[in-house]
Amino acid sequence: MKIRGYRVFFLFLIVLACMTAAACAAEAAEKVYKIATVVKESSDPWFIRMEEGVRRFAADTGHEAYQKGPGSTDSAQQIQVLEELAAQDIDALCVVPIDPSACEPVLKKAMDKGIVVITHEATSQQNMDFNIEAFDNVGYGAYMMDELAKAMGESGRFVTMVSYLTNASHMEWAASAISRAQEKYPNIELIAEERVETQDNLEVAYERAKELLKKYPDLKGFLGTSSNDAPGAGKAIGELGLIGRSFSVGTSVTSVAAPYLDDGSTTAVTCWDPAEAGYAMNVLAVMVLDGRRDEIKSGLNLGVTGFENINADGKLINGQGWIVITKDNMAEYDF
Amino acid sequence: MIPGRLLKRNEFYVFATIAVFVAVIEFQSGQFFTNNNIADIARSMIVPGMLAMGLMMEIIAGGIDVSFPSIAMLSMYSSILIMRSMNYTGSAVFGFAVSAGIGLCLGIINGILVHWLKLPAFIITLGTGSICRGFTQAVLRSRNISILPPPVAALGKKYLFTVTNAESGLSSSLPVVFIFLIAVVIGTAFILRYTILGRGIYALGGDSVAAARAGFNILGTELFVYGFMGALSGFVGLTRTVLTGSCQPASFIGYEMTIIAAVVLGGTRISGGTGTVTGTLLGTLLLTMVSNSLILLGIPTYWSKFTVGVMIVIGTGMSAWQALKGKTKLTSVVAERDVNTGEGAGRCGNGS
Repeated sequence: MKIRGYRVFFLFLIVLACMTAAACAAEAAEKVYKIATVVKESSDPWFIRMEEGVRRFAADTGHEAYQKGPGSTDSAQQIQVLEELAAQDIDALCVVPIDPSACEPVLKKAMDKGIVVITHEATSQQNMDFNIEAFDNVGYGAYMMDELAKAMGESGRFVTMVSYLTNASHMEWAASAISRAQEKYPNIELIAEERVETQDNLEVAYERAKELLKKYPDLKGFLGTSSNDAPGAGKAIGELGLIGRSFSVGTSVTSVAAPYLDDGSTTAVTCWDPAEAGYAMNVLAVMVLDGRRDEIKSGLNLGVTGFENINADGKLINGQGWIVITKDNMAEYDF
Repeated sequence: MIPGRLLKRNEFYVFATIAVFVAVIEFQSGQFFTNNNIADIARSMIVPGMLAMGLMMEIIAGGIDVSFPSIAMLSMYSSILIMRSMNYTGSAVFGFAVSAGIGLCLGIINGILVHWLKLPAFIITLGTGSICRGFTQAVLRSRNISILPPPVAALGKKYLFTVTNAESGLSSSLPVVFIFLIAVVIGTAFILRYTILGRGIYALGGDSVAAARAGFNILGTELFVYGFMGALSGFVGLTRTVLTGSCQPASFIGYEMTIIAAVVLGGTRISGGTGTVTGTLLGTLLLTMVSNSLILLGIPTYWSKFTVGVMIVIGTGMSAWQALKGKTKLTSVVAERDVNTGEGAGRCGNGS
């Protein structure tokens, strides 16, 4: 027993030494704004692209801007990352929350401490200075629906897919796509399931798509909101031999959707450039920190592609940054 | 088998739950007993089925493991990276060997730490799992890879057979990697049933001191179960990549709870010493069916998590209730049981 205690203590000492060394290394920086961008998941290609934007911002402006995120798309883990950052000496937090309502307490704590909070993909967030979207969610959802309707020949049944039912933006896009279908496409019908949860996982999206096709053999359209939805549905469409009969369209990126765009099982994917969004969040944070909050209103040019003429409604800001990726142009958007 | 004896077995209750569940799905949708649905469920069983076998062995041996999804993630991602950097075009066997090899090393580290530090395996594997995940994300900068090395991509397009539902025209193919599941299940059953090692695993979980006195090699047995799980995790990681058609490192995260639930659902006692291959397979089947049939059942998306939770509580509750009944019986008919030696891995927890 004594020996065991000694061994554990020894291990503990090593860990402590490592941590002290790491902390000392991080100390030597000059006084500039410290801005942390917290994303949903650090290994997601989408957020790796966002990190490119954050790094470009840091290089362009000299501010100490960096990106952090939990290892998995897990709200509890993300809140922990936020808690740790809020306890440190930082000036601003740029957050892409997994579950905005669950983040309220920690963001409130940060704001009470004087930290500027900018969010992205969280129009329902209460505790923030500004929320910035690449575009307005209603317009984007309608836009995705138009793309899907085009593929479906404006008739048939469809379903929407969301990562989690708690994801504000995904839910808004889906809602807007559904109302667009009801207003503009009388021959397109939504099935009873309406929204299927895919946990932002291609395998789950694939399994759900197959299950839906079992229940609705004539299901013609899948509208995906997370980046794995349209490719997952595309994989099912391809394997079931339904290319040309069923169509998947939705938010995604080339790194995920390329094989499916290539074989035609996914018709088109839409998105915005996360690098620009990450950059724009940081620009806003600095403007607030510099006391230029009043300048943030409709018509302002943030100097970021897609955000040259922003639309501000109180704390909610939109750009016009959507892009469509198809088989033909996917090489230009390699993220 | 005598019906009374059958009623005492936990497997029977899991099987009964499955039967009721199947009947409800069939009644609701008429889609359960279609050939393509059966093939889809078989396909969905591949990954959880293999992991459950390894985890069951660890739990029988008195351990637990929450690091295997991270081991799977690290092994699969690094083996894909290695193959990509070599522009490898040979056989996919190489990839599996690399992935399983990395997993084996990590699993053995788990085994050594568990044996050496004598801390609860839960804490050790929580730590090693976190290290593996952190390493994959921080050092390897893990991201989704959708362009796979040719042999891996090709294996994903090989099927044992394809069935087509005459009515709906939908077809479903059973991937060739289904064979892996069969091999792992048979291998696990063989080890547990017919080898001294298998006896040792039960004995260790029943009472480690007694097992050591009886002459079982405790270090060897522990290294085996953790090493086996590690190798299996690496192997399954690449299998998942083959099935998905892209390498998604994050897709394993949180998977440990599903597998633990499946194993416990199958009647494996979390305290060790008791568990069967059949039970674990049934437990995995039940969980797979539940998560893959909610749409067919017509459960609204908002209720799906609730339903999965209820199924887990019912299933595990049933096996716990069985264990409890077994215990009360044991005190009253202990003499009778001594005579009635039957079933090596009895439910009374005294191992084999």
